[in-house]
Amino acid sequence: MNPTDTEVTPWSPTATWVVRGLGMAAAVAVAATVWLGLWVTPPDQAQHNLVRLVYVHPPIAWVALYLAFGVAAASSVLWLWPRTRSRFWDRLAVSAVEVGTVFTALTLITGSIWGRPTWGVWWAWDARLTSTALLLVLLLGYLAVRRVPADPDSRARRSAVVALVAAVDVPIVHFSVDWWHTLHQGATVLNANLSPTIHGSMAWTLLLGFVAFTLLFAWMLAIRYRIEVLSERLLDSELDVALHERWAEGTGPVAGEPGGALASTGRRA
Amino acid sequence: MSYIDAGYAIALGVLAAYGAILWRRRQRLERAAARSGGRRAP
Amino acid sequence: MWRDTVLVAGKDLRIELRSRVVMHQVVPVGVLVLVLFAFALGPDRAPMAKAAPGLFWVAVLFASVLAVQRSFAVEASDGARDGLRLSGLDPAGVFLGKSAAVAVQLVVLEVVLTAGVVVLYGSHIRSYGSIIVAGLAGTAGLAAAGTLYGALAAGLRVRETLLPFLFLPVAAPVLLAGTRAWQVALGTAGNVGNVGSAGSAGDPWVRLLLVFAAVYLALGVVIFGPLQEAS
Repeated sequence: MNPTDTEVTPWSPTATWVVRGLGMAAAVAVAATVWLGLWVTPPDQAQHNLVRLVYVHPPIAWVALYLAFGVAAASSVLWLWPRTRSRFWDRLAVSAVEVGTVFTALTLITGSIWGRPTWGVWWAWDARLTSTALLLVLLLGYLAVRRVPADPDSRARRSAVVALVAAVDVPIVHFSVDWWHTLHQGATVLNANLSPTIHGSMAWTLLLGFVAFTLLFAWMLAIRYRIEVLSERLLDSELDVALHERWAEGTGPVAGEPGGALASTGRRA
Repeated sequence: MSYIDAGYAIALGVLAAYGAILWRRRQRLERAAARSGGRRAP
Repeated sequence: MWRDTVLVAGKDLRIELRSRVVMHQVVPVGVLVLVLFAFALGPDRAPMAKAAPGLFWVAVLFASVLAVQRSFAVEASDGARDGLRLSGLDPAGVFLGKSAAVAVQLVVLEVVLTAGVVVLYGSHIRSYGSIIVAGLAGTAGLAAAGTLYGALAAGLRVRETLLPFLFLPVAAPVLLAGTRAWQVALGTAGNVGNVGSAGSAGDPWVRLLLVFAAVYLALGVVIFGPLQEAS
């Protein structure tokens, strides 16, 4: 078994430095994006000030739908594959899913806010919005499965399967809804304007937006990963302490090695 | 408040809140881990 | 693997034949859903007939959750699940067998619901061929994905609420494609561009149902074994 599994070590100086750097870079980049997006860049010909949401919505969507989901799916596969199995992938998967859920919800919210003045509706059943909404539900399903009390291995197994099924389902959903629309004349109106022509300062700000939210995701992923490591250990040591107290109640001071007994008593699904 | 302002505010607000939640959870866990580190098998 | 498939499917179907839970409880729920929709949409039959394809598939979806839950509930007692795992049967075979049994039960349900839709909503079937193919393809997909998730949720105390929450979103494409295929077969499609033979316009949807089924059958075969190792 992996030696780091039995003990919580604080982050190495390099790791701390990297994560701190990520956090600061993310904060700066996001602030710069907001400043440029809201004030410095010019309004669009067609969309006027509404185009400013392009610095926020597409980057958040990219993080949610491709980055977070991709990391979650890939980590799940890597965990399931016996040769690459490691606690690292399971922890990375749950971290990516949790952070990804926040970003997915925001994708829907910012998309809806953009859609209302542009199309006149808060919601439309086009391919992208529908697939994203479905992805949100699938991610919530993953988190729900994760909450079920179980030993780490079983929990990891179930979660990974959920992630895999979701990864396979989302493209199918997207494709089918897209098709649904191309056969249904009325919807072409809605497919219009969410991609304005971008040039000059707008293009740079958009690029900055993508970088900024990617950095933010990376930072959140790292912190969430650390939280996962710590809470796993805490659960184990709390169990340790509780069991010791229980034994002490029954038979007085306990000598000897109770470590082995933990494995069987701690593992009910 | 215009749609754009609302959009930015919500996006940044939620992300800031979530970031803060993560940060605090981590702080508390690090402190708990440091404490219980000395309380394993007697 | 195929031998184990037949073995497990046979066992599940025999249990059903003797206990008749699906026939007496799940199928009536499906019909009940159709009736309830009539309360919601009626009393005029026109909106019902228009919505019939979608309502049919929604009823099938809900019933499939019950069928899958039943499929795993039969093994919940007396350590039968562990018995199955330790029996040395190929997990892929177990998966296919259980999916097949669920699929057979769903097909029976669908025949009843089709009759229900014709009688209750006044639908006219123009192309029996498409209905049958779409039904089989959709059923295969639902059974496969359902059995996979059913195995995942089996043995968990929260399985009754977790399974629908996990399974129904995944089943959404089947609902969508199945409804479209049925619309063409029932002639209620309306906005379909060319009025060719009912079969050709529904083809892309049937193909999607087949892809869905193939994908989830393959996924299940591969992943069922590792999944069983979760306690």
